[in-house]
Amino acid sequence: MKYTLFLGCFIPVRLPHIEAVARGVLPQLGIELADVDGFTCCPEPVGFLTDRMTGLAMAARNICLAEEAGLDIITLCNGCTYTLKQANETLKADAALRARVNDVLSETGHEFKGTVDVLHFAQVLSRRVGLDGIKAVVKKPLTGLRVACHPGCHILSPPAVLGFDDPLDPVVLDGMVSALGADPVDWDKKTGCCGWTLTNYGEREAANRLLGAKLDAMHAAGADCSTVICPQCFYQFDTGQMLAARELKLEYKVPTIYYLQLLALAMGRSLDESGIRQHRVKDPALEERLGRLVA
Amino acid sequence: MAIRATYPPSAMHEAAEVCLKCGVCCNVAHSCHVMYDKKFNPKYTFVYDCLSSDKGASNPNIWMCVSCHKCEETCPYEVSPVHFIEALKGVALGVGVVHPTIRAEVAQVVATGFAFPLSGATERQRQALNLKPLPTKPLGELGKIADKTGLAARLREGQP
Ligand code: SF4
Ligand code: SF4
Repeated sequence: MKYTLFLGCFIPVRLPHIEAVARGVLPQLGIELADVDGFTCCPEPVGFLTDRMTGLAMAARNICLAEEAGLDIITLCNGCTYTLKQANETLKADAALRARVNDVLSETGHEFKGTVDVLHFAQVLSRRVGLDGIKAVVKKPLTGLRVACHPGCHILSPPAVLGFDDPLDPVVLDGMVSALGADPVDWDKKTGCCGWTLTNYGEREAANRLLGAKLDAMHAAGADCSTVICPQCFYQFDTGQMLAARELKLEYKVPTIYYLQLLALAMGRSLDESGIRQHRVKDPALEERLGRLVA
Repeated sequence: MAIRATYPPSAMHEAAEVCLKCGVCCNVAHSCHVMYDKKFNPKYTFVYDCLSSDKGASNPNIWMCVSCHKCEETCPYEVSPVHFIEALKGVALGVGVVHPTIRAEVAQVVATGFAFPLSGATERQRQALNLKPLPTKPLGELGKIADKTGLAARLREGQP
């Protein structure tokens, strides 16, 4: 399985330790990653609603680079997946729109043909590698670790395009966590937005209340940590939780761990190698426990 | 595959007519996150002020919608408020009411290819992790796209 690795902006700029983990662990599951020069922002799904044609053409240009390399795209981010998949499926299905977008692209030397697929790494892991394939690389099962899974809005909806899971009752990420030997917990507010976009473009106070409600629900379910598959969700639950802790008068911490970091731990990587120590929300008791599990 | 896209302006009126203003899209558990803002609730902010108003595009609250599609999944009449609000955002750039963060971000992407500014700290972090440096040269191809679609001109007009 060989893919072009589409990093987007958030991970390489703000969370490079997640890029490093992805590059380290995915090849060990048979996922070969090819770097393509010239990828740009996907573009960002909310901002480019102000100009749909530009947004579509920029997304199509990114897809063209993968087409020219003859490889499907693998992403590490829900937002990138949402933008690229919607553009890809819409342009494959609508010949008139495709012609307009290709006209816009004409001066860049690219042409959208519709020959590749866009997949989130969680789709590749759950479907193409499969849960048995994940289990096969687990050396240190994360036994007893209680994890609240937050798949995030933009990998779930619209389901006809994203094709990942049931948006009202998602279970795929839970299965991926079970494959690592950990225990996914059942928690209220699992499908609610993380609030990152609300922090950025809306009202920070509202975003904090939303974050507080989600963290309360995770804590009430007895979660040791949460896991996410999107850098925006990660940032909100990590840096966002740290920033909001005082305003929300939080009396507990729910650290978040990117799924690929959990996978790295289960494959026997240390906490340092998995990048866990770079996180803002630190829980020494959890770190000690994880340290024991992977020792 | 049937894909529902953002409403073109011609279909917005029809969608607004089909909407019963029943509020189901706003009242389902885990629905619109806007309920976490004390000043707004989705029913007033979106259903009444957007789907029932001809001035929706200048309503600053449309920028609170994060396109999570929860309303689309719960509306029993397939109105898809999310696509209506997305269409309003498209109208908004034309009439000059765009959240300032968005305008800056769009301009930044066109100029650099990244939605976030690159800093020395990022490069040092990447180096420590043995990751390749990020490209810092502006990308001419995005400028060509923005020229051709007219976005570049609209961004220039909107600058003070
Ligand atoms: S969008 Fe649908 S659910 Fe919401 S008020 Fe209109 S008809 Fe009711
Ligand atoms: S898509 Fe927008 S309006 Fe609909 S539930 Fe999500 S945030 Fe609310």
